[in-house]
Amino acid sequence: MRFALLGVAIFFIILWYLSFSATRLDRLHHRVETSWANLDGLLQRRAAIALELAHSDRADPASSLLLTAAAYQARDASIVNRSHAESGLSGALGLLQNDLTLESKPAEQELLRELSELTNKIRVAIAIHVDAVNRTRAVRSKLIFKVFRLAGSAPLPVTFEFEDDVL
Amino acid sequence: MFKAKKLRIGIVCPYGWDTPGGVQAHVGDLADYLISQGHSVSVLAPAIDENSLPPYVVSAGKPIAIPYNGAVARVLFGPIAFSRVRQWIVQGNFDLLHLHEPAIPSLSLLACWAADGPMVGTFHASSKRQRAIFAVGPILEPVIEKLAVRIAVSEAARETLTAHLETDAIVIPNGIVGEKFRAGVARPEWSGNTIGFMGRFEEPRKGLGVLLEALPMVARMVPDIRALVAGPGDSDEFMKKVHPQIRNRVTFLGRLNEEQKADFLKSVSLYVAPNTGGESFGIILAEAMAAGAPVVASDIPAFASLLGQGKYGALFKSEDATNLARTIAELLKDKGWRDEIAALGQEHSRVFDWGTVAKQIFSVYEMAMVGGGGVRLASDTRSWTRLLNREGEN
Repeated sequence: MRFALLGVAIFFIILWYLSFSATRLDRLHHRVETSWANLDGLLQRRAAIALELAHSDRADPASSLLLTAAAYQARDASIVNRSHAESGLSGALGLLQNDLTLESKPAEQELLRELSELTNKIRVAIAIHVDAVNRTRAVRSKLIFKVFRLAGSAPLPVTFEFEDDVL
Repeated sequence: MFKAKKLRIGIVCPYGWDTPGGVQAHVGDLADYLISQGHSVSVLAPAIDENSLPPYVVSAGKPIAIPYNGAVARVLFGPIAFSRVRQWIVQGNFDLLHLHEPAIPSLSLLACWAADGPMVGTFHASSKRQRAIFAVGPILEPVIEKLAVRIAVSEAARETLTAHLETDAIVIPNGIVGEKFRAGVARPEWSGNTIGFMGRFEEPRKGLGVLLEALPMVARMVPDIRALVAGPGDSDEFMKKVHPQIRNRVTFLGRLNEEQKADFLKSVSLYVAPNTGGESFGIILAEAMAAGAPVVASDIPAFASLLGQGKYGALFKSEDATNLARTIAELLKDKGWRDEIAALGQEHSRVFDWGTVAKQIFSVYEMAMVGGGGVRLASDTRSWTRLLNREGEN
């Protein structure tokens, strides 16, 4: 009788641990999705600002063309090419920014200020997303998660290597 | 720009509110700033005297003094504290929780365990890799993981976090109320060829011993040198250990209030921080820089990084009194150099202004809240609470 009770207790503890672990993993998956949505949104906003800058009258036709192309490329890039496309946009923005800061109208100054704020945010967002992905992958590689298939049918999050020059 | 939504923010401070300390000061300043921006803030902290608390602080009970990491930490845990934490979370109906030092066995860890939703954690301490902390890593891991974003106050704190818990963090420095220090007024009794030291001088790691060892050597080159020591401690007892020849050059000022502190930093010709280790950030250096004092500090990692590897202040080899004496003497003789590092330091200290720092923290809050939903009790502790309540009813 006593053994039976002990057995039941252990069974419930294991059950609790499994449900605890499943909740934990679910939370991580959720974090990967939200952090990606956040990062994606910020990057889209950056591309939009880039387009606005490209259409401002200060931008000469050549840099305007370059910036427009880079912005569209960043917007349309697939997830695999995203990092590369975003650093292309950073490069184009960097070129233009040097020229624009010299003499520009308040409207453009405002855009540039917004851009630098956005850049800081993107930096944090990248750190959060990369961390979420790494944690999720680390947890999913543990034995108990594999044996009991706690991840269910959720796809393994993509390790998205942002190169250092993305910004 | 769009107007930011006003938030309900819950902050948890793990250490006793009545005892002065870096984390408590940080939490207090942050809460003041957030309130001034129109957000509603509630701080949960252990407290001895519940009547002397600022209106935004909620007491979770009396702290327990335990030896931790080579010092006495006033923390709070246990079933009663845990139920108070849960109660606070339910009643607060917060949009976001900001937990300080969640890896310390205290309220923040309990809150992290009890809550679900947008949570941000700030790690203040830095320490060498310790087996004890390493051993509890697997227990802490699933809890710390619930934090949407982790903030470290310095590179040193971030490295500690990476080593102990294998997780990364964003570095946002500690804040100072810069204008308070820039407004300091030089007082004649503290001016002249004076070097300032501030801190609990009885603790060996604060390094006053190194400074006093260097003082006779400095006196040979700068005859009218005086060392002013501010901070709490038994100065009579300490004076006995000071070499008789230099006793008349050392003055103990006791504990200074905030205004005196600003004046003190403004008055001294040099501010010296000879700490031998155990520092994670070095907020006093930021304050000295804001007041416009030229800073000399030991080259421990936290200080070297804060002083831009020697750009915003002079560095000397830690625990090397001869090296310190030479650095002090050279600086005291060269007013141009002194003014230069003081000016660069004062300019640089603006990155530690609360306005700048809190903006960074707030942008982290915004990112932690993506995905919506406020703070609620975690599902696993919810069923636990139900179970306990049912038992209570019987």
